[in-house]
Amino acid sequence: MIASIDVKKCVGCGNCVNRCPLDVIRLNEQKKAYIAYPEDCMTCYICERYCPAGAIYVHPFREALPKIFTQEY
Amino acid sequence: MEKKLLETDVLIIGGGSAGMWAANRFKDLQPDKEVVIVDKGPKDWGGLMTMAGGDFDAVMPDENIADWMEDFVYYFDGLCDQPLMEEILKCSFDRMQDYQRNGCTFFKKDDGSLKSVPQRGLPHVKLYPAQLKGRGGEMMVRALVEQLQQKNVKRLGRILITDLLKQKERVVGAVGFDTLNGDFYVIKAQAVVAATGVGGWKTSYGKNTPTGEGVELVYKAGARLKDFEFSRVWNMPKYFGWEGQTTLMPLGGRFVNALGEPFMEKYSPILKANTDPHFTTIAMAMEIRAGRGPIYFDISQINPDDLVLLKPQNGWQLMNYEKLRDLGMDLFRDNTQWVPQMTISYGGMDAGIHGETNVPGLFAAGTARSTEPGVYAGGFALMTTSVTGYLAGEGVARFLEEQPQVEITLDEDEISSLQKEIYAPLGKDGLSPKAVLTEIQQIMFPYNVSIIKTETALQDALHRLKTLQLTKIPQMAAKDAHYLLKLREVRAVAFVSELYLRASLERKESRAGHYREDYPQRDDAYLGWLTIEQDAAQQMQFAWEPVPTAQYKYPITRYYSDNFTFIKKD
Repeated sequence: MIASIDVKKCVGCGNCVNRCPLDVIRLNEQKKAYIAYPEDCMTCYICERYCPAGAIYVHPFREALPKIFTQEY
Repeated sequence: MEKKLLETDVLIIGGGSAGMWAANRFKDLQPDKEVVIVDKGPKDWGGLMTMAGGDFDAVMPDENIADWMEDFVYYFDGLCDQPLMEEILKCSFDRMQDYQRNGCTFFKKDDGSLKSVPQRGLPHVKLYPAQLKGRGGEMMVRALVEQLQQKNVKRLGRILITDLLKQKERVVGAVGFDTLNGDFYVIKAQAVVAATGVGGWKTSYGKNTPTGEGVELVYKAGARLKDFEFSRVWNMPKYFGWEGQTTLMPLGGRFVNALGEPFMEKYSPILKANTDPHFTTIAMAMEIRAGRGPIYFDISQINPDDLVLLKPQNGWQLMNYEKLRDLGMDLFRDNTQWVPQMTISYGGMDAGIHGETNVPGLFAAGTARSTEPGVYAGGFALMTTSVTGYLAGEGVARFLEEQPQVEITLDEDEISSLQKEIYAPLGKDGLSPKAVLTEIQQIMFPYNVSIIKTETALQDALHRLKTLQLTKIPQMAAKDAHYLLKLREVRAVAFVSELYLRASLERKESRAGHYREDYPQRDDAYLGWLTIEQDAAQQMQFAWEPVPTAQYKYPITRYYSDNFTFIKKD
């Protein structure tokens, strides 16, 4: 899941905003990227890969989902 | 919010592999006609292909199509649309060559020949891995987008198409909305290609966008659907996403239970671990139910020389691998915990070889049309979506040559009513789409609904789902256009869930990827496709379309599911 966008590093290019398949990221009025819809991230890393400033960090764990078995796993 | 009117010759809904191939082929044949591709995701992102590894199935010129056909008839337990599959296989090498001509490269051995990996223990079916493991799909998207730019295909992103427009019986366009600013779109078209992908349950990396709005859209327009009892239940790492296990299994990868036992040898003494994941996940579920979970992925049997094929080399897969390794989770060093997870539906439109559906003017391409009954060979999707997209492009071109151009007169009352319906949840207080999605997942994911199905569990799930559709779906609200898209997605997830549950109840046997614990044997009475259409009273009508064995070239004499002990033989 997307974890953070470093405002100091963000150059406002909009790459992450335009490329996110789930429309998770938007630019604010100061032309800085922010995580607008965190719950929709699918951990595809597209934003982090295309960020020219290294401002984005995506944690590799996917979101937890409802259980398949009654056991914990 | 503005109202925008567009007019084109061909509207293609979905900008993934199939949609781009359809546009590309159509423009080869009719370069003067206009094509518009509309996608709910970013412009030119390429749909699920952008996240694919790039592995491709193809029948090489020195191979026999008949050998591959016999594999698929056997692998699909008889549910193989033989004329369609034969055409897909015949065209597969050409599409692979197209990719190579446009700069996509496949993995080569030291002698310069292409490396292939056999699939699912089948004698002939094999995939060709992309050279750039981790970016193969991305390279394919880039190659196709360049082609579309050269051919002046208009591409629009972030627009969700919600309804098709018809004039008399013919599809003549669609309406939808911009998922960023909410603008309303009306698009007139002489023909429409639905390349919208499948339905699904928003489970993981790469499977969060196929949610079934396309299924709902074509069903409402009268299209015949099929194969909704089959869903993709995949083995996935518990905590993270991973692509490429398809290549791992034939090279020695295997799952072991908590006791360290490679349990597939028990469930399939012949194929062992090298089998279709849908059968592996049934076995995983049985092991966990019996108290022998959790399940781990074991790579100790893989030849180190083959690891070059498996280790991500770039792209998202490398980034994912390195981050996990930094967290102390190395798939190539440790046994990692995996779970069986329902991901997407295999159901789609019932269509002819060139994508023609039962609705005039509506064509189906890619996974929006059903091609496989709940089993999946690695590399199959990139082959089928490229070929069926290409064939749909030809089908539309022929349709426009043969059918007279229609003067499209919009029914303003209908459009106004559709517009009102689209925006009704906007700006209201209500349930969040995400909360309702979680409830649907809670209904659908339990193993006795998604993997080892039983009448009792399916009926219970259907009852809970119908209650949710009546009480929760109408209460969903969207505070902006982004959430309006999510709301439509969740509504479609519920719709596809209903199709899955009802179809699963209808097929009272076990065949291919559909396993009923209360009917654990195949039954010849069900050697057919289960189709679904909306009747005049807006009810789902199910019908059996028998496999026309008398007309088919390849006899059905062997069944892949016979390899598994949980399929009863009498």
